[in-house]
Amino acid sequence: MIPHSAILNKAKDRKFTADPAQAPTEDYHEALRELEQEGELEIQPVPEPFIEVTNKYGRTKKIPLEHTWHHKSCGQCGHIPGYSTSVFWINRKLGLDYHDPTDQTSCTAWNYYASATSNAPAQAAVAIRNFAAARETGYFPIIHCATSYGHYKETRQQLIHSPELRKQVRGILAKLGKKLVLPEEIVHYSEWVHAVRDRIAERQVIDMSDVVATVHPACHYHKLVGEDAIYAPEVYGAQRSAIITATMQALGAEVRDYSTWADCCGFGFRHILVSRDFSRSFAVQRKIEVMKEEANPDVLITHDTGCVTTLDQSQFAAKAHDRNVGLPVMSDSQIAAIAMGAHPYKVTQLHWHSTDCRPFLEKLGIDHRKAWAEFEAAVELLKSGQKQYMTWEDADA
Amino acid sequence: MTLDLSGKQYANVPYEEKEKLFEEVKADLRYEEYLYGCYECGICVAACPSARFYDFSPRKIAQAMAREDVDLFYVFLNDSVWDCSQCFSCDVCPRKNSPGGVITLMREVAVKNGLASAQEALEGYGRVVYKIMATGTQVSPDMLQANAFPDWGPHVKDIAQNLDAWRRALPPETMHTTETSWHVDDKTLTELYLIWHMTGVMDMIKEVDEGLFMILQDVMEERLEDAGYDVSFD
Amino acid sequence: MPELPILVIGGGPGGMEAARGIAEIGYKAVLVEKRDTLGGTPELASYAALTPDFRDAGEAMAEMAAAVKSAGVDVRLGTTVTAVSGAAGSFVVTLKNSTESEQLEVGAAVIATGFQHFDPGRETQQYGYYEHDDVITLVDLEKMLRAKQVVRPSNGQPPKRMCFIQCVGSRDRQIGNEYCSKVCCGVAAKESIEVRQLLPDCKVFIFYIDMRMYGYWENEIYWPSQEKYHVNYVKGIATEIRKKGDSLIVRGEDTTMGRPMEVPMDLVVLSVGMEPSAGTREMAALFGVKLNKYNFIETTGGALNTVATSVEGVFACGASTGPADLEDTISSASAAAMKAVAVVRKAALAH
Repeated sequence: MIPHSAILNKAKDRKFTADPAQAPTEDYHEALRELEQEGELEIQPVPEPFIEVTNKYGRTKKIPLEHTWHHKSCGQCGHIPGYSTSVFWINRKLGLDYHDPTDQTSCTAWNYYASATSNAPAQAAVAIRNFAAARETGYFPIIHCATSYGHYKETRQQLIHSPELRKQVRGILAKLGKKLVLPEEIVHYSEWVHAVRDRIAERQVIDMSDVVATVHPACHYHKLVGEDAIYAPEVYGAQRSAIITATMQALGAEVRDYSTWADCCGFGFRHILVSRDFSRSFAVQRKIEVMKEEANPDVLITHDTGCVTTLDQSQFAAKAHDRNVGLPVMSDSQIAAIAMGAHPYKVTQLHWHSTDCRPFLEKLGIDHRKAWAEFEAAVELLKSGQKQYMTWEDADA
Repeated sequence: MTLDLSGKQYANVPYEEKEKLFEEVKADLRYEEYLYGCYECGICVAACPSARFYDFSPRKIAQAMAREDVDLFYVFLNDSVWDCSQCFSCDVCPRKNSPGGVITLMREVAVKNGLASAQEALEGYGRVVYKIMATGTQVSPDMLQANAFPDWGPHVKDIAQNLDAWRRALPPETMHTTETSWHVDDKTLTELYLIWHMTGVMDMIKEVDEGLFMILQDVMEERLEDAGYDVSFD
Repeated sequence: MPELPILVIGGGPGGMEAARGIAEIGYKAVLVEKRDTLGGTPELASYAALTPDFRDAGEAMAEMAAAVKSAGVDVRLGTTVTAVSGAAGSFVVTLKNSTESEQLEVGAAVIATGFQHFDPGRETQQYGYYEHDDVITLVDLEKMLRAKQVVRPSNGQPPKRMCFIQCVGSRDRQIGNEYCSKVCCGVAAKESIEVRQLLPDCKVFIFYIDMRMYGYWENEIYWPSQEKYHVNYVKGIATEIRKKGDSLIVRGEDTTMGRPMEVPMDLVVLSVGMEPSAGTREMAALFGVKLNKYNFIETTGGALNTVATSVEGVFACGASTGPADLEDTISSASAAAMKAVAVVRKAALAH
């Protein structure tokens, strides 16, 4: 008779370490270098200092600390502006040099995945135009939206494998006076947050040890060219991406699991605008209700424009159906900023969100009434014409 | 709503027409990396959110293409591909197929050829297409109107009413905009229009929504002319 | 020239069969095994019953080991090969054990270094072997079956519902193992019968892409498992295993019924495939033998010669050349033994 404890300990003692020598795919770093040597493209190297992380097959990826060119997300800047504001705010608080460009277009992937009114050369040209624009400034691109990130990873794969596409894109860009440039790494801003999470935690002023969070990883982050996502042995045994979870743990929060962790949020690109019953049903029934029932979290943290939008905005209509909703949703950048003492309205702009974040702010000991009054007072100055814009200094005042 | 795979609803469409569209999908340079063989294992369906909501199966679509079943392909092309949520959860396929990728190619072919089902699927979508094509960002702050998003909650009305001030209340200097998500340089827009022109995207839009095409044509040709480019979208 | 001995590397069923066969024909066999006991993977992994005849694995390996000794094979336990030089007809090998190193001249060699089981940590579907206590492999289950004690690791209780997931680490382009591991369907079906015998109240499912039970295995294992023991076969493989409350949730598609499925299970068994063992890679490097693209030893004769390698006088048998069941291993071991003997005899006659 084998004692139960022996069987259980054997199960618990299992440890896995990814060995990059056994990686089943080509290393895109090598593929890009070969192409650069053949004169097919130019690589923009990750500037120093950088932080190394490991991805799915145990390969290393370089994350730039600063001198970053922020490739913004239209859905974020347009509808949830506190999300992008928080990313910039954290950079500033950490004293890091960054560039917020106006020579930047959307990746256009939301439209592409929704309506297919585009094609491979157009999508690739849009991507490379942005990368070339970054190269011209000398700052290294860091991508705000997970769909842009996933889409650009796919574009990279297509360019690596198709000489025809490379030729087409080179020709198009040449007419714009630009070269075919690809960054050495395609970096998502949440990977940067992950890389600097200890620095963020050092400056944490809001205690989150009582906070229970659930985490939702974006499909386009870890499923689309999924090997280029952060994995760490101390998080989920390197069997699932460590993204967001590691950041939340660094902030002292408890991250609870739930049985639909890898499910899509239901954004759907087209669906969120013209077939909303799909997005809403999926977000509420497959994600929010499952989280509330199994994990009972205080807050849901995710790291993508579409996911924040879907998970947050779907809850209101579901209330009319008496569904179990009412879970505040925010990005890792917003909660990290809050942890560092950012103003909930002037910086993280939580008033653009649908689900009520106030009970959560109260739990964190933040006086949201006072904060809202401060924000309204600031807005009054803008409305009356006494000030044109809220500045970074105003946001911290 | 159950999908009718019999194809009888398209019995009047000539086979040659269906075959032409099928060959167009296969001719795309990405096709050979999106579809290999299929084990019929169902992992793609297991991972797919649309499979739980619609009568939709990435496995069946991949199999129809792999079998080169032109009639079945045509049914999916019209009745199924717009249900896909393009999440690429199906990229989990152990053969490394991307049913979502195949669907992207099918959608492009549907749009390029002006299929009625594509036009219908994109009916409510024209404004977004206009925004992205013409202004370089997709969903702008001024699209948050209560009548467009009543189901998102009462905050949409607050945003719409305070839009100008609330946008100026954003610390990042590039985001003090209402018609775009951030300020996009004129030169950048010019470059974007040239990309659309050089890659034939405007031709696709013409097939789907002629009115939209004409509006875009005006906007783009004017700006390009100002920038010194003699370009026509016709 | 006297007939030189033949070196057999690996003391599993393949190596034992080859060594005994060589000795029975009247030639000298030196059997080298790095562990302290013969029996190979069936012994190391505590297999319960062999597929397909359900014979006790321990007993069968012990019988083979005894036959090896009584045939007069020179058995070297705790020994590895550390250096090789020479060519067919005369190789000089260095054998090393815990106390000494010895050089030996041999006329031919048979590599029988077997396989290792796929590590589920490299699986790209989210099966959570390293996250959930109740997700185990075929090997973990064999140990429990050997002890006649099948329980959930999480609570020590016998499962009420359990399932096998086939093709873990095989037939998979994401992982790179684009081959079928041949035995896992038979082994899973065999284990399912053993579980049903032990736990008649436990419902057992097998989620598969194809059930591959060749030849007589179909009627010896597959149909009895379904008809006599009511094992449920569902065509549709799983993509995720999650924890929900006290159960595991297995997500797949029931392709026969054409719908996504999410089913609770108490215990999930991953049918892990075969990969080349460390010993196979090491011996291939030492002997200069070519590996195929999966890093198994490449056999150079196609269907008509399943044991010849790229180096003359060096043969390989069993799972060192690719996934193999026991019947394959025993057969190829004899083939390798015969061909090795031919090399030695030819060399002796030539001088």
